[in-house]
Amino acid sequence: MKILAGLLASTLLATGAQAAGELNIFNWGNYTNPELIKKFEAAHGVKVTVTDYDSNTTALTKIEAGGHGFDIVVPSANYMPIFVEKGLLLEARPDQMENFKNVDPRWVEVSWDSGRRYSVPWQWGTTGIAVNTTAYAGDPNTSAIFMDPPPELEGKVNVIPEMSDVMALAIMYMGGKPCTEDRELLRKVRDQLVAAKPKWQSMDYGMTEKLSSSDTMASVNWNGSTMRARLNNPNVVYGYPKEGYPVWMDSAAILADAKNVENAKLFLNFIMDPENAAMISDFAKYSNGILGSEAFMPDEMKNAPEIVVPAAAAGQGVFLPTCPSSANDLYTAIWTDLQK
Amino acid sequence: MAERGFSVRSLPGFGTTAIVTFLALYAPIVTLVVYSFNAGPTISSWEGVSLRWYADAWQNRAVQDAAIRSLVLATLASAIATSVATLAALGTTRTGRFRGRTLIYTLINQPLMVPEIVTAVALLIFFAMIKVATGYQGLGYLVLAHAAFCVPFAYLPIRARLEGMDLTLETAAADLYASPYATFRHVTLPLLAPGIGAGAMLAFVISLDDVVITEFVKSAGQETLPTYMLGQMRRAISPEVNAISTALLVLTILLLTAFFLLNRKRG
Repeated sequence: MKILAGLLASTLLATGAQAAGELNIFNWGNYTNPELIKKFEAAHGVKVTVTDYDSNTTALTKIEAGGHGFDIVVPSANYMPIFVEKGLLLEARPDQMENFKNVDPRWVEVSWDSGRRYSVPWQWGTTGIAVNTTAYAGDPNTSAIFMDPPPELEGKVNVIPEMSDVMALAIMYMGGKPCTEDRELLRKVRDQLVAAKPKWQSMDYGMTEKLSSSDTMASVNWNGSTMRARLNNPNVVYGYPKEGYPVWMDSAAILADAKNVENAKLFLNFIMDPENAAMISDFAKYSNGILGSEAFMPDEMKNAPEIVVPAAAAGQGVFLPTCPSSANDLYTAIWTDLQK
Repeated sequence: MAERGFSVRSLPGFGTTAIVTFLALYAPIVTLVVYSFNAGPTISSWEGVSLRWYADAWQNRAVQDAAIRSLVLATLASAIATSVATLAALGTTRTGRFRGRTLIYTLINQPLMVPEIVTAVALLIFFAMIKVATGYQGLGYLVLAHAAFCVPFAYLPIRARLEGMDLTLETAAADLYASPYATFRHVTLPLLAPGIGAGAMLAFVISLDDVVITEFVKSAGQETLPTYMLGQMRRAISPEVNAISTALLVLTILLLTAFFLLNRKRG
């Protein structure tokens, strides 16, 4: 009973009195390397608390309500403009920080935060095509693998049931741009998808396991998952569709009503250091956008073709914008047709 | 009497229906428990028996913190909810019929009818205003929120017990000049104890389980076991989550068994 009372007292008394030397990070679950936090705490004498969220919407809702007590949030690219427009982020000018020189120039002039006045890169990745070369020796760098499966792969292709990624791949394969509302083109996209579906094996998640065990020979899949599958099964390769493929990035930013702004700035600068950025990647298994961090990454990631985008494919990656709801309605209708 | 009456067991298909129902209820849980002992790093390909995920979870600071917080929260919330529910149950059964009693039932059971997400958003907005005004970020908000939605779960078994109790005992005590308090203390309360126990236990388990409201109300660093597990879902799930779930399951079963045995002894 005494122990319980002690616990009660300590939990209840841990109130919002924000002492100097605190930092509250609000991030996706299972996404922050505890070693990175320990290192930051030791380096700056700051007590860091990490709290999880499970979706951009949850994070946005809680922050918009106010009184949350968080200092740093890590939204995805398509949510960043919403955070900025609603005035939820502090213009912390990370572009003037000491370690900003390490940011890959490719990630500086980004559409959601031009010139990086608010945010710094956390992790980024791609959605492409995983192929088992024992089943299909042709070129994996095309969405035709699932839009028009070659005879060798009939009945062996999986499509992850992730509407925005799959629709973007399909639209780009048919020659359109993500978020298009061109009915003529969308009709073609639907017909092509519906015609291809009988040649698919499944529409499932969990491809790391199924590709590893060769139960599935090809799949629309994320790069990090494909890398893990390849480490188990060397026959798996990752293709970057030449018609275009989605790229995503989560960036860390300081909240407008943060209580520990100085510590938060220290943290943004801290994660732009290549060695620290590599710690994030080591844990979350995606790239970080900081030049020179490869040197500190585990060997299995350093030269992974799933993580390091080959020069030839770099130009075809597309950041998925936040589509207007009219476009989303059309995509949902096609998606529903596809599920029948 | 019973053997001559209608028995559902004699209906055709009773056995099959029962088996299918139990399979549907327990097969997924059995799979979850089995894979918590997987030696490999995935929840779908079996690589032999091992306790490594239990060791991992046990040594994981985040899991320890979340587990302690969950238990503290459930203890506080169920204590408050059970006290309130006991008073409410006495107030609604140990009085004559009064106007608006059905309305009171509905009001008390409101958390059972209102979708959880609605309560969660309402609490988020309401508590956010208080957080801004007072600066207090502690566990108090979660305790209050949990206590509130646990009330009907504690209330229902207590009320059922009160309604099923023999009123003549209380009347007899009153006839023998026991004061209302003495009647309550020495007659009603001991008879009611199993109901209160059941209510408290249900409230405890419901608080331990909650995800939606907790996710919206929690302040910085207030991860509970369920919200911690939810956070693991974006990346490949490891059997560590299975191990934590199994531990939670065992705790729940132990509580239920303890209560059942306790209740049986009292007859």
